[in-house]
Amino acid sequence: MKYNSIIIGGGLAGLTSAIRCAEAGLKTALISAGDSALTFASGSIDVLGFRQNNALVDYPFEAISQLPDGHPYRKLGADQVRQSLNFFTGQMAQAGIEMSCHGQQNHSRLTALGAMRPAWLSQPGAKPLSLAEPAAGLRRVAIINIAGCRDFQPALLAAGLKKHTDFAGVELTIGDIRADTISLTARNVYELRSLEIARLLKRDLFSRPEGLTTLASAINKAAGNADLVVLPSVLAVENGNQLIHQLEAHTGLRLCELATLPPSLPGMRMASALRQRYRQLGGLLLEGDEVVSGNFDNDRLLSITTRLNPSMPLTADHFVLATGSFFSRGLDSNPSSLTDKTFNLDVVTAGQRQHWSNQHFLNGSQHPFCYFGIETNDHFNPYQEGQVIGNLYCAGAVLGGFNPVAEASAGGVAISTGWLAAKQITAQYSDVRGNHVESH
Amino acid sequence: MLNLINTSFDNCLKCTVCTTRCPVAEANPDYPGPKQAGPDGERLRIKNPQLYDEALKHCTNCKRCEVACPSGVHVGTVIQLAKARHGGFKKGPREFMLSHTDLMGSLSSPAAPIVNAMTKLKPVKKLLDKTLGIDQRRTFPKYTGETFRSWFNKQSGTQASFQRQISFFHGCFTNFNDPTVGKDLVAVLNAMNIGVSLLKKEKCCGVPLIANGFFNKARKNAELNMSQFAHSLTKTECVIATEPSCAMTLRDEYPEVLEVDNSAVKDRIFFAAAFIAREFARGNLPDMKPVPLRVAYHSPCHLIKAGGVIYTMELLNSIPGLEVIMLDQKCCGLSGTYGFKKENYRTSQSIGQGIFDQIEALDVDYVVTDCQSCKMQVEMNTDRTVLHPLTLLAQSLT
Repeated sequence: MKYNSIIIGGGLAGLTSAIRCAEAGLKTALISAGDSALTFASGSIDVLGFRQNNALVDYPFEAISQLPDGHPYRKLGADQVRQSLNFFTGQMAQAGIEMSCHGQQNHSRLTALGAMRPAWLSQPGAKPLSLAEPAAGLRRVAIINIAGCRDFQPALLAAGLKKHTDFAGVELTIGDIRADTISLTARNVYELRSLEIARLLKRDLFSRPEGLTTLASAINKAAGNADLVVLPSVLAVENGNQLIHQLEAHTGLRLCELATLPPSLPGMRMASALRQRYRQLGGLLLEGDEVVSGNFDNDRLLSITTRLNPSMPLTADHFVLATGSFFSRGLDSNPSSLTDKTFNLDVVTAGQRQHWSNQHFLNGSQHPFCYFGIETNDHFNPYQEGQVIGNLYCAGAVLGGFNPVAEASAGGVAISTGWLAAKQITAQYSDVRGNHVESH
Repeated sequence: MLNLINTSFDNCLKCTVCTTRCPVAEANPDYPGPKQAGPDGERLRIKNPQLYDEALKHCTNCKRCEVACPSGVHVGTVIQLAKARHGGFKKGPREFMLSHTDLMGSLSSPAAPIVNAMTKLKPVKKLLDKTLGIDQRRTFPKYTGETFRSWFNKQSGTQASFQRQISFFHGCFTNFNDPTVGKDLVAVLNAMNIGVSLLKKEKCCGVPLIANGFFNKARKNAELNMSQFAHSLTKTECVIATEPSCAMTLRDEYPEVLEVDNSAVKDRIFFAAAFIAREFARGNLPDMKPVPLRVAYHSPCHLIKAGGVIYTMELLNSIPGLEVIMLDQKCCGLSGTYGFKKENYRTSQSIGQGIFDQIEALDVDYVVTDCQSCKMQVEMNTDRTVLHPLTLLAQSLT
């Protein structure tokens, strides 16, 4: 069976690539070995948050030219990175989520531990704060939990916030909404995860005509007249941003929804919006299967075989490898070497095992292993024993040469490299067919 | 003793992705979800069997947790085996009746008109509801007066005349309830110059037996089927099944759940669409005329699990003039025998609501799905008729 493009990996990079191929009218299949890291993600997109010296980045696109050679962004250039993110926001909007940003500038998003992380795009419910003055205009912040939610600790958030000098003059209050005041009837509310609370609320509260006002008055009671009310993201799986908006209208308060421990509802929302968009464009999604081998002929990948259908190879003109890093099992390591698990492509690595990481896990300095990953040329084609594979592109965390955590760049790299892979693929179709299939 | 226990569930990272995708956990808060029921609970149960949780009975074995798991844990299988090990299955007359599909079929089929008329009657349904706990709101599957096997026997001569031969595992539903799909398969394969032969004997693949805790019976069936396959594969290319759950069980569940070794024949067991799609790719394409219909495709849980959706889509897309809209990949909620049980009716209907709403909102001529159980559920809950992909393919034959 033959496809124009086969995308391997169902995370942010794979979905972006797949959506762009499908939108251009290519017969596209996406293979995903289980759900992606999006299920655990904050639901915001960072492009570039920190410089090499750990200083905050104000304008991420401007800072790209100062990155070291070999960084994926340097191969793309700032213009293409910006275009790819515009493409992404457009797709998210079409799937019903309007991502917000502060022009070309980064903003701060609050985390459940009270840390500030720089990001460029956030879902509206996340209430982005100013990067330079996150506490501007805030005199009182109320942190409200749904009693029983074990994924959110208001005291930890408050303690984390107090560490920021900006928040020194801000009064922090902590409040609870009891399960019975919002009609939650669970066997044991103290067992509940964020996802379970959202499902119970949908069934027990929002199914009633007065559900929304009941929750709104509970929030009002717990929060008083705070300038900002912080809630764990437990209210709704789908349409969470719309719900926050409605609650703001009812309460007259500014509500900030924080991603909790996994699963993260804002992350799940983003993943399902992207999958829905891909499906609407006619893309084929194959979940729960994984690629076990590739059939290469010199500089080309001809076909792949999967675990569930080993005797029937899937053929395509172009492939995108977006299998993620160690956590997503795209990369694998053993005591002496590092490998790409799917095709055994050449990887960027450095010296002996003892030099892969620092002695202390969290001492503030960067770990070399974070930069490890597949080595590519300027078109993001990988090498296999030194030979470039021309119809295979790599995208996202499986790439080497960048540090997604220390730089706060995971989202932007995933989107831009996935986008570029698809751009190069679709461009070749306009060549072959003599008509232009590109839409962006 | 501990080292003899399969601890592959320890690959679980506690990420909870499985629970986000579990249709039962979404519909029924009494079910703690696959993570807690599967890998988390397994640790406790190894320590002390008393820690077995009755809530495991809510699992429908749809396997969506396994499809979603990024760490390759066989969550659904862990749950099924735990239920078997700790007496978590209720095995009353209702469970016996619902799961012994081949026995019930061979008893009911000869009296099909009477049985069909009876199971439509309200008082009968009420009686079954009260005495057995089979929900009276369900529509029961009809039985056929002429089984697929007896239809097939009349033309086994024609089939033998083809040079290429495959073995067809027809399954209980095609044989006793509705032989349409079997007949369509024969028509399609014949148009591709391939003859069909049946196994000398075939028993239920075991899906409903596993789901109701009759593991010993399922294992006996599996052993019989495997010996039949071995025999039949000396004369035919492969064994194919049109029912996704049958295909998945024969190929994947025999070794994983029933510990019946099928390694000698495993690579020659195919889901029908996979076999046909491979033939198409090799150029063995029958002449097809346009079928100008707009259809919505619903992907069955066990087909997703077995990796077969790609082949069905390939077949549907190869039919000229057919417009195919893929529905969200959600569970229909019936899950074979699960939704027939009175205590599961609400959960079952609530799981399927998303699919029913989506179908009603679309302006389509038919719904298409590979699974007979999904077909029952969709037809009971929407205005649409549900067709098997092979039926559309057979219609397109010139």
